[in-house]
Amino acid sequence: MLDILANFGHGLMIAAEPWNLVYCLIGALIGTLIGVLPGLGPVATVAMLLPITYHLPPVSALIMLAGIYYGAQYGGSTTAILVNLPGENSSVVTCLDGYQMARRGRAGPALAVAALSSLFAGIFATLFIAFFAPPLAELALMFGPAEYFSLMLLGLIAAIVLAQGSLLSALGMIALGLFLSMVGTDIDSGAIRMTFGITPLNDGIGFVPLAMGLFAVAEIVKNLEKPEERSIVDGQITNLWPSRQDFRSSIGPVVRGTTIGSLLGLLPGGGAMLSSFAAYSVEKRLSAEPERFGQGAVEGVAAPESANNAGAQTSFIPLLTLGIPANPVIALMAGAMMIHGVQPGPQVITKNPELFWGVIASMLIGNLMLVVINLPLIGLWVRLLRVPYRLFYPALLVFCCIGVYSLSSATFDVVLLVIFGIVGYAFLKWQCEPAPLLLAFVLGPLMEENLKRAMLLAKGNPTTFVTRPISLGLLVLAAIMLLIVVLPSISQRRETVFK
Amino acid sequence: MMRRSPTFNDLATGLLLIAVAALGFWLAMDLRIGTAQRMGPGYLPRAMCAVLGGLGALIVVRSFIVSGAPREPWAWMPLALVSASIAAFALGIEKVGLFVSIVALVVVASLAAPDKRAGEVAILSVGLAAFSSFVFVKMLGLPIPLWPAASLLGLS
Repeated sequence: MLDILANFGHGLMIAAEPWNLVYCLIGALIGTLIGVLPGLGPVATVAMLLPITYHLPPVSALIMLAGIYYGAQYGGSTTAILVNLPGENSSVVTCLDGYQMARRGRAGPALAVAALSSLFAGIFATLFIAFFAPPLAELALMFGPAEYFSLMLLGLIAAIVLAQGSLLSALGMIALGLFLSMVGTDIDSGAIRMTFGITPLNDGIGFVPLAMGLFAVAEIVKNLEKPEERSIVDGQITNLWPSRQDFRSSIGPVVRGTTIGSLLGLLPGGGAMLSSFAAYSVEKRLSAEPERFGQGAVEGVAAPESANNAGAQTSFIPLLTLGIPANPVIALMAGAMMIHGVQPGPQVITKNPELFWGVIASMLIGNLMLVVINLPLIGLWVRLLRVPYRLFYPALLVFCCIGVYSLSSATFDVVLLVIFGIVGYAFLKWQCEPAPLLLAFVLGPLMEENLKRAMLLAKGNPTTFVTRPISLGLLVLAAIMLLIVVLPSISQRRETVFK
Repeated sequence: MMRRSPTFNDLATGLLLIAVAALGFWLAMDLRIGTAQRMGPGYLPRAMCAVLGGLGALIVVRSFIVSGAPREPWAWMPLALVSASIAAFALGIEKVGLFVSIVALVVVASLAAPDKRAGEVAILSVGLAAFSSFVFVKMLGLPIPLWPAASLLGLS
C-alpha cells in the first residue's frame, strides 16, 4: 500500500513536469474537440498523431494520447446533449436523456452533470488503476498462452453485446475481422498469405486505413445522403448549475456507472462504449420509474457519462499489465509504446515504472483540466458545431488521407482507405456492425500466436483450454455472455412461432 | 414457412461472407497446413475460411426465415465522389505533392455537398492545403512530398 502511494507520488512528479503538463493539456483539448465534433473520433485522431509522437519522449507521448481518449469522452457529451448527435460512440446513450433535458431548458444542468460525473469517474478510475494494476500484473504472470487466448475470446464475445445487429451477423463480422488479420506474412514461417501478390500487403492490411475507412469515410458518405438537419438547442445556456435534486438523483447512478465502467474497461473489447451502454441499461432496470428514461432523466446522463470515462481509463489496464489491447484506441497506444521501444506486457510496471506511473498520474491532472476546459468553453464548442457540414467533411477527409499516408508513406494505404470506405458504407446499409470486425482484426494476430503456442505446449490437445482452470473460467464466462444474448431472442422466436 | 422474398440485408451480408471465404480458401490453397500441434501457415486461414463460409451460409438461410430491416437505397453519387476524391489524393500525392492533392481532394469531395458554393470551395481547398502543408510538413515534419518539384527530385 505504502509503496503504491510512493510510486503514485513519483508519477505525479513526472506528470507535473512543465512539458508533460503542456502535452496533457494539448491532449485534453484535442480530445474534447474531436469528442465534440461528430464523425471524428479518438481512433482516427490518435492514428493521425501517432507519427508525431516519434519525436516525443515515451511518457509525454502516452500522456498526450491518453488525454485525447478520455478527453473525447468529455466532449462527446456536449454534442449529445445539445445536438442529439453522438459526438463519440460512447455518447450515443447520453443523447437519449441529455437532449431531452436540453429541450426542456435544462441544457446547463445536463452538461454540468455530465462533466462532474466524468470527473468523479476519472478520479476513481485513476486510483483504481493505481491500486489494482500492480496485483493484476502479478496475476498475469500466471497467464499462459491458453489463458491469453481465452481472455481474448471472452473480449470478442463481449463485443457482440455491443453490436446492435443480430448475433449471427456480429459473429460474421468477427470472423471477417479475424480473416483479414491473417492477410500478410505469417510470423512463424515467413510464408506470405493471401496477398494476391500485392507487395504492400506483405505487412498485412493496415489497421489505420481499415479503421478510418470503415468508420470515418463510411460515416461521411452516410451523412451526405440527405441534407443536413442539425437542430442545435438554441438560446443562452444559463443556469449551469444542477439543482439539489439533480445531485441527489445522480449520486447512485454515478457510483454504479463508475463501478460498471471500471470493471468493463478491464475486458478486452471493453472500454468507453460498452461501459456506457451497460450502465444506462442497468440504471433503467434499477430505477423505480423506468418510464422517465428517454424523457430527460438526469440519471440517464449521469450513469453513462461516468461509465464511459471510467471505462476509457481502465481500458489501459489490460495493456499495461497483460499487454493486450482492450480496444482499437488502446491498440494504437500499444503501437505508440512499441515505437518507443517499450514492449507492452506485465513487465512494464517493473521495467518502465516512470512510464506506468507517469501516465496514470497524468490522468488525474487531465481530468481536472478537462472539467475546467469543458464548462466555461461550452460557447466555443457550440459555435464549432454550427460549422456547416459541407465545410467540415472535406477537412475531415483531408486529415484522414494525410494521417493514413504519413504512417508509411504508402499510396497503397490511401487506396485501402477508398476500398474500406466503400465496404464500410455497405456494412452501414446492410445493418452490419463494423466495431466487432475492427476488434477482431486487432486481436487476431495475438490470438493466432497464442493459439499456436498453446497447442504446441499441449502437444496438439485442444482440451488444454478447458483443463487449465483460469482458461476454463474465462471460457465459461464467454459462454454465459453468449447465452445472455441468445436467450431473449430464442424466447421471442418461440412466441412468434406458437402464435 | 411461407415463401417470401428474402431479407436483402442479410442475404447480401451472407453472400459477401461466403464470397470472401471462398476467395480466401482459394488463395490459401498452397499454404502448408501442418498439424494441430505445429500449425502451418495455412492451418488457421483455412479454418477461418470454413467458419466464415459457415456463418455466411447461416446468415443466408436466416435471410429467408427472418424478416429484418427494409432495404435502404444507396447514395451512389456521394459514394462515388468521396471515393474519387480520396483516389485523386492517392494518385496525386507522390506525383504532384500534398498541396495540389489536397486541392483536388477538396474540390472533388465538395461536389457531393448539396449546398456547395464555388467560391467557398475554392477558399476551403486552398486554405486547407495551406494549413495542412504548414502544420503537417513544416511544423511536424511528416515525410510528405509538398510540391511536384520536391517529389520529382526524390526529396521528402
